[in-house]
Amino acid sequence: MAQLHGDAQGSAPALRVTSLSKTFPGTRALDDVSLEVQPGHIHALLGGNGSGKSTLIKVLAGVYHGDPGGEITVGTASAHSDKTSPQWARQAGLHFVHQNPGVFPTMTVAENMAIGRGFETTGIGSIKWRALKRRTAELLERFQIQATPDMPVGLLRPADRTMVAIARALQDQEGGHDGVLVLDEPTASLPASEVDVLLTALRRYAAAGQTIIFVTHRLDEVIAISDRVSVLRDGRHVATIDTEGKNEMDLVELIVGRALDRVFPEMPPVESEEAALEVRGLVAGPLRGVDFTLRKGEVLGIAGLLGSGRTELLKALFGAYPLAAGQVLLDGQPVRFKGVEQAMDAGIAYIPEDRAAEAAFLDMSLRENVSASQVRHYWRGLRHRHGAEGVDARRSITDYMVKAHSDQQPFGTLSGGNQQKVVLARWLRRRPKLLLLDEPTQGVDVNARAEIYGAVRRAVEEGTSVIVVTSDFEELSRVADRVIVLAHGRVVAQVAAPHIEPHRLTELAFASAGDTTRKVAAS
Amino acid sequence: MTTAHTSAGASTDETEVAVASSGLGPDAGPRTAPARTLWSRVTPLLEQYGLLILFLLMFFIFASFWDRPATFRSGANLRSVLGTYSVPGVLALAAIVPLVCGQFDLTVGSVAGLTALSTAAALTRFEYSLAVAVVLAVAIGLAVGLLNGYLVAYVGVNAFITTLGMASVIAGLITLYTNGDTIIIGDRTLGALGADNFLGIPMILYALAVVAIVVYYLLGHTPFGRYLHSIGSNPTAARLVGLDVRRLVMLSFVLSAVISAIAGVLLVARNGNANPQVGGQILTLPALAAAFLGATAIRPGRFNVVGTLLAVFFVAFALSGLNLNDVSQWITDFFTGAALVAAVALSTVIGRRRAGAS
Repeated sequence: MAQLHGDAQGSAPALRVTSLSKTFPGTRALDDVSLEVQPGHIHALLGGNGSGKSTLIKVLAGVYHGDPGGEITVGTASAHSDKTSPQWARQAGLHFVHQNPGVFPTMTVAENMAIGRGFETTGIGSIKWRALKRRTAELLERFQIQATPDMPVGLLRPADRTMVAIARALQDQEGGHDGVLVLDEPTASLPASEVDVLLTALRRYAAAGQTIIFVTHRLDEVIAISDRVSVLRDGRHVATIDTEGKNEMDLVELIVGRALDRVFPEMPPVESEEAALEVRGLVAGPLRGVDFTLRKGEVLGIAGLLGSGRTELLKALFGAYPLAAGQVLLDGQPVRFKGVEQAMDAGIAYIPEDRAAEAAFLDMSLRENVSASQVRHYWRGLRHRHGAEGVDARRSITDYMVKAHSDQQPFGTLSGGNQQKVVLARWLRRRPKLLLLDEPTQGVDVNARAEIYGAVRRAVEEGTSVIVVTSDFEELSRVADRVIVLAHGRVVAQVAAPHIEPHRLTELAFASAGDTTRKVAAS
Repeated sequence: MTTAHTSAGASTDETEVAVASSGLGPDAGPRTAPARTLWSRVTPLLEQYGLLILFLLMFFIFASFWDRPATFRSGANLRSVLGTYSVPGVLALAAIVPLVCGQFDLTVGSVAGLTALSTAAALTRFEYSLAVAVVLAVAIGLAVGLLNGYLVAYVGVNAFITTLGMASVIAGLITLYTNGDTIIIGDRTLGALGADNFLGIPMILYALAVVAIVVYYLLGHTPFGRYLHSIGSNPTAARLVGLDVRRLVMLSFVLSAVISAIAGVLLVARNGNANPQVGGQILTLPALAAAFLGATAIRPGRFNVVGTLLAVFFVAFALSGLNLNDVSQWITDFFTGAALVAAVALSTVIGRRRAGAS
């Protein structure tokens, strides 16, 4: 870190991509993309799902070969776009840290550091532990990570885990200004408080001269930390602009290619006073007595930090998490579900937070995914009606604006936003009375987000009541009629439209969490 | 209603066309694009029908010039191969049922060995009627399947361990009962099922066909089959769309064991005796090999009935041809294993290509 270079370091770009294209059978993922990244900059890469930004990252990483004719230059190293490889990328100084940072939680920080580059061993093949710990301690110092070499990575804060991954990627660089660090959605799985820790660290690395390419869906982060922004749309490079003086709406316009007046549609006003759902003293897992009422046709938001019990609440209502005590009334009738099937029969639908782990049948077709909640529906006359299933699936593709070339396409080949639309269709087809949404727009681009909430709105108009959990308080403030704040297993506050403001929700969620901790500590 | 459906379908097709043309438009650029597109069209077909093409090629070689084509293509030889491999075929179909929902059943051969023995013993030592013997065999299959399924689905023991242990337990029971002696049967009906032909085709092949149709129907045309596929794809998601995952997993083991039990009856019919040496691994491994080989064909990536049957008879005819050419006995194990590894490796490579393009 001795010889640092700031922004002022000449005009030679740290990374230059020239005329890069990438053709897949049937589609052109990248179309003649040229862009430059200046040294010491935090350069954000933006684009909707399917815009080609993942493909660009993969070509840079050498996972994909580009079409012939383009060129990639990192510092002084240059390669034809169809000749890159992971080895070349590493030698040229491109370092990647992905959304899932790929650290081993049960192993120590020192072991995690060594695992990427190989353990140094003595003559008889045993690991030089002392040297490794010394080196790790230096790295932790250099990257200002609050940890010791002996700590298991699983005990670190989530942001520190990502920073360990960054330090691991950059450990063999001599100066801070060498190479380019590419971060692919590093904040997607971090809670809000952790995001700030990570962003502060990134700003510090950039100030020390590190070039960083930052891929994210969160526009507020882009505004907060990036120097420049490049936007891709439909595989083309649309623009590269200085971030200074731009706001989120400017970026949204570039991403979707038109002004989006309302990303979130206005939900119809709640007219009924009748309760769709009443929850009394619900105790389950981290929940310690939750009370609330949901009116017919209402969109109720739940704000809470990670660990507040918000996911468990939805799962408990859906019969997928055991209830310890409390009463649930659906349309005035007490219900107690023994399993998911009973909850479904009662008219409840649940869209889980972690799509890949809890909702997706990745290797099955789009058609099979969309009808997964009503397979029996097609069982007539002792056989499965594949034809009728296909017709319905194609109708859902149109109704929910899913971008797919066929209903037989494997689900795993759809982009995140389109997968989410399919999962939404799977449940809205059942015309549920109660729709439970857990982080419905995580990792979903602006366009798909609008379409998802458009579909929810249509359901609400047809009489569905909705509970939505999301960490994006901006989103909550736009879609919810009312928000309850969950902290430490209880409802600690309630805000009704039009007084729902993102910063107010953030304050409430954090303040209440703090309060309860203090109370618990005092008692 | 119908009009709405049609228009929805039509507009999807338009989207498809639009997507395709945007990729192949005049500015599609590099001249490699058409070649790639051709390759991308051929690859799925190659993947789907690769095993079939290989089968036909192999059959053609043995039946036309290498080395005793007349013997190979003689009716007697064809009937003999089809008849002999009907029982392994039934076992391979038994194996794919749990495999579809992501579970291994290593007891298929053991159950067949056990029920072959129970059938023979019931008929000869206890002189029960054939119907009683068959009911007994199915009951044994049910019991083993329930036990396997309960341990895997409800207790949560790894299926590999459960069924490997159970296979060993069954082997022990067989030795305990028979002391290693073969039981020869004299039942005429069963003998006819094993040895006679109907319309020039071995009777036992009809039995395989019946089992194949039942499994094909269950896996492809009932909610049960779809549920098993969903569980195999993502058990958590399956639970969250309302499936009773544990019950379904248990049922898959029950079904597999019952089919294996029927295979045991067919085994006695074919061999005319129950040999305690025939059963267990000797039958289980080829069945699993055929199941995996079959998953590379027809519906690549999925365990499927047609692919499995194709795999069974691909191996069967290849071995017949090789044996006729005086390639000695070691070839049986060697070829079965080599075909399995080669086919799975090939389909993995092709699958990776496909994943890369997504």
